[in-house]
Amino acid sequence: MRKFWWKYLGAAILVYVILAGMLIPLKPGVLEISPSTAQAAQTMTFTVEGYNTNYDKASSSIRAWLRSDDDHGLTASEITVVDYNTLNVTFNIPKWLPYESKVKYFSLILDNEIDGASVLPSAVSLTQEVPNLARAKALWPQGNIKDLHTNEVISFPYRNILYETIRNLYFHVSLWLAMMILFIVSVFYSIKYLRTFNKDFDDKALALTSSGLMFGILGLITGSIWAKHTWGTYWTWQEIKLNMTAVAMLIYAAYFILRSSMEDSERKSRISSVYNIFAFAALIPLLYVIPRLTSSLHPGNGGNPTFGSEDLDNTMRMVFYPAVIGFTLLGLWISTLIYRIEKIKDKLYDRV
Amino acid sequence: MSILKEVRFLLQKELVLEWRQKYALSGILLYVLSTVYIVYAATQQVQPHIWNALFWIIILFASVNAIAKSFTQDGEKRQLYFYTLVNPMAVIIAKIIYNALLLGLISFLTFAAFSLVAGNPVKIASQFAIALFLGSLGFSIAFTFISSIAAQAKNSSTMMAIMSFPVIIPVLLTLIKLSANSMRIMQDTAIWKDIYTLIAIDGILIAVAIILFPFLWRD
Repeated sequence: MRKFWWKYLGAAILVYVILAGMLIPLKPGVLEISPSTAQAAQTMTFTVEGYNTNYDKASSSIRAWLRSDDDHGLTASEITVVDYNTLNVTFNIPKWLPYESKVKYFSLILDNEIDGASVLPSAVSLTQEVPNLARAKALWPQGNIKDLHTNEVISFPYRNILYETIRNLYFHVSLWLAMMILFIVSVFYSIKYLRTFNKDFDDKALALTSSGLMFGILGLITGSIWAKHTWGTYWTWQEIKLNMTAVAMLIYAAYFILRSSMEDSERKSRISSVYNIFAFAALIPLLYVIPRLTSSLHPGNGGNPTFGSEDLDNTMRMVFYPAVIGFTLLGLWISTLIYRIEKIKDKLYDRV
Repeated sequence: MSILKEVRFLLQKELVLEWRQKYALSGILLYVLSTVYIVYAATQQVQPHIWNALFWIIILFASVNAIAKSFTQDGEKRQLYFYTLVNPMAVIIAKIIYNALLLGLISFLTFAAFSLVAGNPVKIASQFAIALFLGSLGFSIAFTFISSIAAQAKNSSTMMAIMSFPVIIPVLLTLIKLSANSMRIMQDTAIWKDIYTLIAIDGILIAVAIILFPFLWRD
C-alpha cells in the first residue's frame, strides 16, 4: 500500500472523474426556437425549447429579448409557460431594424431567477422592407438587457452543437495528454538505453510505448464517436488533426513491427531505441505544426489545436486536470505490468 | 581528418561509384520514365490538381526505391572498413547530400518527362523550384536515415515502406500545398509559412538523424 500509493491514487482520481464528469448536469440553455424567420412590423409568437430549464418554477421572473450586435434589445411583450422546458414568447417586431441590410440574424436571450441567463446565438432572422437606421434606434432601446441572473448550481457550460458531448473533454483530450506524457517518458528511457545499454531501460521504453499507443487508439475512438454526434461523420478529411493522428499511430505501429523483425536482442534494443526517438521527433510536426497551419473542425479551432480556453470554465477544470493526472497514472500502471511481463519473458527464454 | 574533409571524400566515393556502375542511376531513371508513361497512358487528359498529386506520388515511390539501397549496397566488410576510418557523422551527411543530389536530378527529370507528355501546369516557376528543392532535401534526409534502420531489419524493403511513408506525410502534404499554389490551383497569401514549416521539419529530421546515426552504425 505504501509503495504503490500512486496506483490507488490514479484509480481514485479516475473514479472521481467518471462520477463527476458524468453526473454534474449541464447549465440550462436554449435548444431551439421556432419559427426561425419573421417579418418586421409583425407580432410574432415563437415557441422556445429549453434544456435543463425550470420555466414552470420560475414563471414569474422569466424575461426574454431579441438582441442585435450592438446591444440593441427588443423586450418580449408576452411570455407564457407551457411546461418546464417550453415557452411561448411573443415579440412586437418594429417596422425598422437597427441595421442597414434587409435581412439580419438576432440572438435570443432568456433570463429567470432559477436558471440564470441563457443565449441562443443567431436564433431568428428578421426581414425588413426599407431600412431606416435613425428611426430604428428609438424602437430598439440600447442597454435594456440588464439585471441578469446567474446560475449558482455546479454545472458544466451549455454550448450549442456540443451539448452533452462536452463531457468527452475529460476522456478524449485527457487520453491525448496522457499519451503524450507516456511517449515522452518512453523517449527518456530510450535515450537512457543508448547511454547505458542496459536492457531494462529498453523494456521500460517498450512498455510505455505500448500503453501510449493504446491510449492513442482509444483517443481516436472516443474522438470518432464524438465526431459522429457533432460533425455527423466518424471520419472526415476536413479534419487535419484526425488524419495526422492516424498517421502518428502508423508511425508507432511500425515501431512494433520493427521490433519483431529482429531477433538479436542487443541489436533489437538498440535499433528500436533509435527508432523510438526518431518517431517522437516525427510526431511533433504531425501533431503540433501541421494542424496549426490548416483550419480545423475541433472546438477552439482557427490555428489553435487545443480546446479554446474560453470554453473551459472552472467547473470543467476541476474535472479535466485530475482526469489528465488519473489517465497518466493509469497508463504508468499498465506500463509497469507490461514491463514485468517482458522481464518474465526474458528470464523464461534465457533459461530455455 | 576534419569532418568536412571526410564528407567530401565520402561524397566523391559515392559519385565515382555511381559513375562506374551507372546501373543504379539509369535503373531509377528508367523506372521514373516508365511510371510517367503508365500514368500518362492511364489518365491522358491530366487536370492540374491530378497532375500535382500524380507528380508527387511518382517522386515519392521513385525516391523510396532510389534510397532504399543506400546502406545495403555497401557490403558489411566495406562498412566495417569505413567504421575504422571515418566519423559516422561524416557517413550520414555524405549519404544525405548524395541522395539529395540524386533526388534533385530524379525530380527534375520526372518534371521534364511529365510536362512533355502531360503538359506543364506550373504558373510560378520559382515557387515550384523551391518545392522541388526542399522536397528532395526532406525526402533525402528522412529516407536515408530510415534506410539505415531498415538495413538492420530482416525484411528491409517492407520495413523501408512502412517506416518511411507515415514519417514523410507532413513533408508531402506541405509540398503538395506549395506546388498547388505554384499552379494557382489554390491561393494562399501566407505561402512563406509553408516554406518555413518545410525548412523546420527538414531541420528537426537532420538534427535527429545526425545525433542518432552513430548508434545505428556500430555493429
